[in-house]
Amino acid sequence: MIFRAVEDTDLIRKARRGDVEAYNLLISRWEKRVYNYLLRIVADREDALDLSQDVFLKAYQNLRKLDDPARFAPWLFRIAHNEAFSSFRRRRPEGETVPQSDFAGERIPAKVSPAFPIELSIAVTTALDKLNADQREAVILKIYQGFKFEEMAEILSCPVSTVKSRLYTALDVLKTQLAPAKSRGVT
Amino acid sequence: MSCSPFDLRDYLLGELSAEERRQVDVHARSCGGCHEELERLRITHSTLLALRDEEVPQRIGFVSDKVFEPSLARRAWEAFWGSPAKLGFASAAILSATLVIFTFFRQAPAVASVAAPDASKIEAQVSARVSAAVEKAVAQSEARQASKTAELLAAAEQRFARQRQADMLNVEQRLSVLQKRYNVRENMLARLEPPGEMK
Repeated sequence: MIFRAVEDTDLIRKARRGDVEAYNLLISRWEKRVYNYLLRIVADREDALDLSQDVFLKAYQNLRKLDDPARFAPWLFRIAHNEAFSSFRRRRPEGETVPQSDFAGERIPAKVSPAFPIELSIAVTTALDKLNADQREAVILKIYQGFKFEEMAEILSCPVSTVKSRLYTALDVLKTQLAPAKSRGVT
Repeated sequence: MSCSPFDLRDYLLGELSAEERRQVDVHARSCGGCHEELERLRITHSTLLALRDEEVPQRIGFVSDKVFEPSLARRAWEAFWGSPAKLGFASAAILSATLVIFTFFRQAPAVASVAAPDASKIEAQVSARVSAAVEKAVAQSEARQASKTAELLAAAEQRFARQRQADMLNVEQRLSVLQKRYNVRENMLARLEPPGEMK
């Protein structure tokens, strides 16, 4: 359990009154999560950083519109989700849809953790590439960010049943890709 | 197809309650198919976690920019409504002000209706009474002062007379003593002189 002397809700109230330092502290708590969420969606570190800055700027400008400070996390990720999709729309000519395969661009080479071999990271990246954009985002929000179904529905602006459907389908695909791979000794 | 009482994917994703998880655990221990399915899901989940979060390459932070700060009036307004103590104080102040205003406006018509017609007359009467009282007080004060002055003068004269009398007596006594001393001296000189030299 992580003990925080000042809760996020207190920082949000201070930031609403114009306390920039309180908001900077709030950013320091959330920037890594937001950055990695965007990085896994846009697959570009520079874009992910730029988008992260835009997300926190928009969040600050709209902080008064946040009805319940306890719902800060899904509200912040909703902004991040919108920023990511706006970014994709800006890159393409008007009227042209974004192909699912291009949603995440070219996959970035994963930074290898000393605890895991490179083959495992490549296997995970390859498996995630098998998913469409919605399924991948559902996996990112659930597995890597730990949101509940209701929070995911709020972020993605869709019913919980849709969230579950995307996630279950994604898990079936990933299981086929990753579980046999590990049993065959890829690791 | 799983025969578990609850969806094994919900189990893996942490969406089941403690009791529901316990039921799945019990079932998976006795069901080979569900046990294997759960193991595959666990492997999938743990493998996905091999992709670790990266550190942010550059810290994100804002400086205190007036553009982003709310106006002074807005900050004061929000600080006011955000403080129960200030709200309580304001409520008490408003209540007090209301009572004062109510009292003022309630008494004013009653005083005006009674006093307005005879105001000049009453003012003249009051002025006359005040003048008479002042004159009387001044006369009494002057009389007291004169009497006191006379008494003081008389006492001073008496003290002066007594002092003068005492001084005269003292002078007379001193003169008498000197006279006696002179006489004694003359007698002694007469006795010391020879008889033939007597004039």
